[in-house]
Amino acid sequence: MEFLSLLWSFFKIGVVSFGGGWTVVGLIKAETVPRWIDEAGFSSLVAIAQATPGPVALNAATLVGWKSFGVLGAVAATLSVVAFPVLAVAAAGLVGRRLRLDQGALKEALRTGTLAMMLMTLWLLLPKGGLDPVLVLLGAGSFALAAFTKANPLWAIFGAGAANLAIKLLFGGS
Amino acid sequence: MEAAAPNAPEKDPTPWRLFRVFFGISAVTVGGGYAMVPVIGSALEKRGWLGEEEFYDLFATAQSFPGPLAFTTALVAGRKLGGAAGAAAGALGVLLPPFAAIVLVGALIGRFGDLPAVRAFLDGAGATVPGLVAAMVFKMAKNRKWSLPRVLGVAVLALALVLAPKASLPVFLGGSALCYLLERRWNS
Repeated sequence: MEFLSLLWSFFKIGVVSFGGGWTVVGLIKAETVPRWIDEAGFSSLVAIAQATPGPVALNAATLVGWKSFGVLGAVAATLSVVAFPVLAVAAAGLVGRRLRLDQGALKEALRTGTLAMMLMTLWLLLPKGGLDPVLVLLGAGSFALAAFTKANPLWAIFGAGAANLAIKLLFGGS
Repeated sequence: MEAAAPNAPEKDPTPWRLFRVFFGISAVTVGGGYAMVPVIGSALEKRGWLGEEEFYDLFATAQSFPGPLAFTTALVAGRKLGGAAGAAAGALGVLLPPFAAIVLVGALIGRFGDLPAVRAFLDGAGATVPGLVAAMVFKMAKNRKWSLPRVLGVAVLALALVLAPKASLPVFLGGSALCYLLERRWNS
C-alpha cells in the first residue's frame, strides 16, 4: 500500500511537470514530507538533485524511491514520473492532427500555471522558524547570484555547502 | 553522378546510436532541461539528423507536454528520427545516467550523511534552494508580458496551491484550462 501510494504521488508529479523541474519541487515536498523523508532530508535532496546530472523531478523521484524502498523503489518511482509524459506524447501522435489548440494561448496559460506552481514551491521551501543566520545569508546570496548574474547556479550550491562547512568547522556552531 | 548533399547523414539514427547520443549528453550536462536542450540540438545537427529549425520545432512541441524537458525532447526527437524504437532509445538514454548518479550519491549519503561535516555541507547546499527558486520566479516574472488577467491568474492560482498543495493536480490543470479560455477571449 505504501509502495503504491509512493508511485501514485510521483505519477501525479509527472502530470503537472510543465516548464522545468523547479515547478514541481513544491508538489514533491507536499507529497513526500514528512511521510517518506524529513524536512532537512528534503532540502539536501533537492540540492543533490540539482547538482547531479538529470532533471530535478526525476532525480528527486529516484532518491525518495531509493531511500524508502531500495533499488526497486528507485526504478518504480522514476518510471512513475515519466509514465504520464510518455502516454501524453504517444496519445498526441495518434490524435495530434485532429485536436487544434491555440498554441499562443496554451503557452501563456501554461506560463500562468507554472508561475503559480513556482510560487507555491517557494512558499513551501521557505524555512519556517528556527532560522540559522548563516543559512539565511547563503540563501539570499544564492538568490542574488542566480537573479543578477549569468553564473551557473551550481557554483552557488557547492559554494554554499563549502562555506557552511568552513563556518561550522571554524566556529563550532550548533 | 550523384553529389552528396551537404550534411548528408553519414550514419543513420539507429536506436542504438540515438541511445548513445542522449546517454552521453545526459551524463555530462548538469542543471536540468534548459541546460541540456541546446546541447541536444547541436548534437543532432552535427550528425546531420535534424536541421536547427526542425529541432526547435520539435522542442516547442516537447515543451507543450508535461514531463522533464530533456526527457520529452528526447522522446519527441527520438520518435521523429527512429519511430517508437527511437523514442524509447532516446528516453532511456536520458533516464539512465542520472539514475545511476543518484543511486551512487544516495548510497554515499546513506553511509556518510550523519557525519557532522557532511551534514554541514548538505545544510549549506540545501539553504541555496529557496534562493534559486526565488531567482527563477523573479526572472520569469520579469520576462513576462503582464496583463490584468495574467496577474490575477497567477495570484489566484498561487493562493489556491499554497492553501491546498496536495490538490495541485486538479488546481493546476483546471486553472491552466481556465487561463487558456481567458487568453483566447482576451486576445480575440
